[in-house]
Amino acid sequence: MSNKIKNILRKFVIVALSLVVAGTNSGYSADTEAKLGDTSSIVDFEHNLDDYVPAKDHYNFYFTYKIVHPWWDAVALGMEDAQKKYLEKGITITYEYMAPNAASYEDQTKRLLQAQKGNYDVIGVDVADEAKISPVLDEMVASGSKVMTFSSSDAAPGCKRIAYVGNTHNYQDGADLTEALCKKLDYKGKVGILVGSHGAPCHEDRAKGAKDTIAKYKNMEIVAVEYDMDSIDKAYELAKQMLKDNPDIAGIVCCNMSNPVGTARAVTELGSNTVIVGMDHDKEALHYLKDGVIYCLGVQDCYSIGFDTLQVAVKIADGNKPGVLFPDKTDENTTIIYQEDATPMLEILYGDVSQ
Amino acid sequence: MKSKKITEKTVTITAAIGSILIVIMLIANTYWASRQAISSTNQAVSAVSAFYLESMADRRAKTITNLINNNFDYMEKAVSVIDDEKIESQEDLRAAIGRMRRLLSLNGFALVDEDDIVYTQYTTYTGGSRYPFLANKTLDSKMISTVFIYGSSKELFLAIPIDIKIIGKQFKACFVQIDINDIVDLLAFDDQESTHFALYSVNGGNISETELGTLIGKSNIFDATKGCVSEEKWNSFRDDFANGKRGALTFTINGVVDTICYQPVPDTGWELVVMIRESVIQDQIQEISEKSLRTNHFQIVFLLVVATLFSGILFFMMRRVANNKLDEEKENSKAFKSMANTDSLTGVRNKHAYMETEAQLNSWIREGAVEKLAVIACDINGLKYVNDTKGHAAGDQLIKDACALICNLFNHGSVYRTGGDEFIVLLSGKGYDTKDEVIAAFNKQVEENIGTDDVVVSIGYSTLQPNDEQLHDVFDRADQMMYARKKELKSMGAKTRE
Repeated sequence: MSNKIKNILRKFVIVALSLVVAGTNSGYSADTEAKLGDTSSIVDFEHNLDDYVPAKDHYNFYFTYKIVHPWWDAVALGMEDAQKKYLEKGITITYEYMAPNAASYEDQTKRLLQAQKGNYDVIGVDVADEAKISPVLDEMVASGSKVMTFSSSDAAPGCKRIAYVGNTHNYQDGADLTEALCKKLDYKGKVGILVGSHGAPCHEDRAKGAKDTIAKYKNMEIVAVEYDMDSIDKAYELAKQMLKDNPDIAGIVCCNMSNPVGTARAVTELGSNTVIVGMDHDKEALHYLKDGVIYCLGVQDCYSIGFDTLQVAVKIADGNKPGVLFPDKTDENTTIIYQEDATPMLEILYGDVSQ
Repeated sequence: MKSKKITEKTVTITAAIGSILIVIMLIANTYWASRQAISSTNQAVSAVSAFYLESMADRRAKTITNLINNNFDYMEKAVSVIDDEKIESQEDLRAAIGRMRRLLSLNGFALVDEDDIVYTQYTTYTGGSRYPFLANKTLDSKMISTVFIYGSSKELFLAIPIDIKIIGKQFKACFVQIDINDIVDLLAFDDQESTHFALYSVNGGNISETELGTLIGKSNIFDATKGCVSEEKWNSFRDDFANGKRGALTFTINGVVDTICYQPVPDTGWELVVMIRESVIQDQIQEISEKSLRTNHFQIVFLLVVATLFSGILFFMMRRVANNKLDEEKENSKAFKSMANTDSLTGVRNKHAYMETEAQLNSWIREGAVEKLAVIACDINGLKYVNDTKGHAAGDQLIKDACALICNLFNHGSVYRTGGDEFIVLLSGKGYDTKDEVIAAFNKQVEENIGTDDVVVSIGYSTLQPNDEQLHDVFDRADQMMYARKKELKSMGAKTRE
């Protein structure tokens, strides 16, 4: 069966999923009980290049992101899809897509400065720490480099980076997930928050969204906020400790991809009934969702982020600025999914649920 | 032992029964042969199908194995070539990887350095989280695994350890990623849609996303077949997958019988399953069988009609032959009877005939059924003399002449030659009524013949009297009268014995 047909089938499954699941929710929605939004897809695997005609037949890019992690591997697949489609048009795109094994603004700064010396048409970055990295980006732009941000974390407001492609609503994602948790807990009880990396805008924004939501309800209380530094093992240890320190903790908000996996492992191990809400599409997390250990997950469309990042990079390389050809911030969707959505999501994302 | 006479009827019945038995046996034999042929065909087709399936599964599994081995060989060759090339930059390395990928058809060919950075023709990326095998610091041996890519595409991942240094970096592995769809296309190359096949993981998940028939489709094969076979067979089926064994399974889903053969693909953890729907074969066989049966039925009916017609014609012919034979025998009997009652010299009835008539008349006389009957006793004069003097031929002629004379005049009577020169004429009806005139005319003619030396016959006659008990009584009186007449004619010059 051709990829096109497979993609159509996936679309069909997604549409069917959307139709049968009552309620809707998008990345911007305040209705946290709604399921699988109005959008026809959670993750869109079928992309075509837009009508823009690149000025050159070869581009060379450098991208760096926070940490070696499956979430960015999914972004990479979208990039590779775009690269292949450009190649079919006779346009060769080469690029580097690099990250450290542990999130670090120092490492990211080093990589960016090194890339600045290379022969790259555009340098893209998923900002590890907006306070530290944004000035670096400003200097790079000032020295003539074409810099963009992508995936989950933009630079600080006012940064001179050219454009951003990715999640523009991390705060709202955090708020939506937490709202779902609050409703599930009947707006009372103790809540813990697990965050990813210190300073990572996406993680921090979600944590802020979570905190602000909890603060709305007088019978709810945040008892712990911990950072796992995007490590599942650390998330597990932190969650276990959080559960031991607060045996009556009712829920945990997980702000990145590693948080919910580690937390679910801990909850399962301790036999806790703590309700978990979290981010992203980790396969293990989806299985926990299917099994009811995790209550809901906010799934970002990583594939589209990758695909659109490369398209915007080509336009930036040709000297274009945000406007008609591309916006300052290219937004990508986040959809909150629940237990009943886990199996089709596993099927859509990983093919075989039982693998 | 007294042998029983076999009649024509017995023969006919025996022939008829024999014919019917032969026809029945022929029909039964034809029917049995046709059923036997169908049964044998079914068995043969099943055997051939099973063999065909096993062969197909084996061939396709080997195709994958060859693909894997070729890729391993080509990767080693590619690395060897790259190692020998003068590569001074990342661009050179990408170009070299691209050349090898293109020349050796290595899908997704990539090198991995000691920092888990992956180098492909177009990209360089950190792959630590993307490729589980990179979790280990080094790769000790060739590795085959199935990777489930985000977005549900599946790939066969082949990696080999390498030890080369390029652009100042130590490289520890290289790999290729073969899209399962490409493998499916390769396997489907010789498939003429007569069979279905799919690749499954150990837990029964469909890896190839090919439909294994309409009923199993792309579902987990264990889920699809559960309840369709016995628990024991199903567990054995699962065990075979878990242990990488080959085998076959026949199961029924919604009343449709399917047979699958499965063959492990070495080192991949896959089971290649091929299936032929038995109903397809059975439909074809049934069609052939029904056609064969229709032909047989037609043959049987045709045979019956022909046998019936043939039997009818045979029976008719036998009847005709029998009737002809009967008629012939009657004719012969009649001829023999005629010969027995006729005098060969004169053609009139002989003494045997007279005796039969006499017996019949005696019976009638005793019953009183005869009223008018006259007996004329006739004797030829001078027969001995003619025989002696002129020979027997002249004597015979004389007898004939005498007979002719008697027959001409007593033309309403029955003439019998009862001896050498003796005739008896029986008169009844008109012959009886006209006897006096005829006798007178006869005697007158005889008397005239004396003078012309022609035939002379002495006659005496008598009629049946009420007290006569038998014909001989009448004859005796006529005979006496004949002798008296003979003397009288002698006196007139007629020749005598003396």
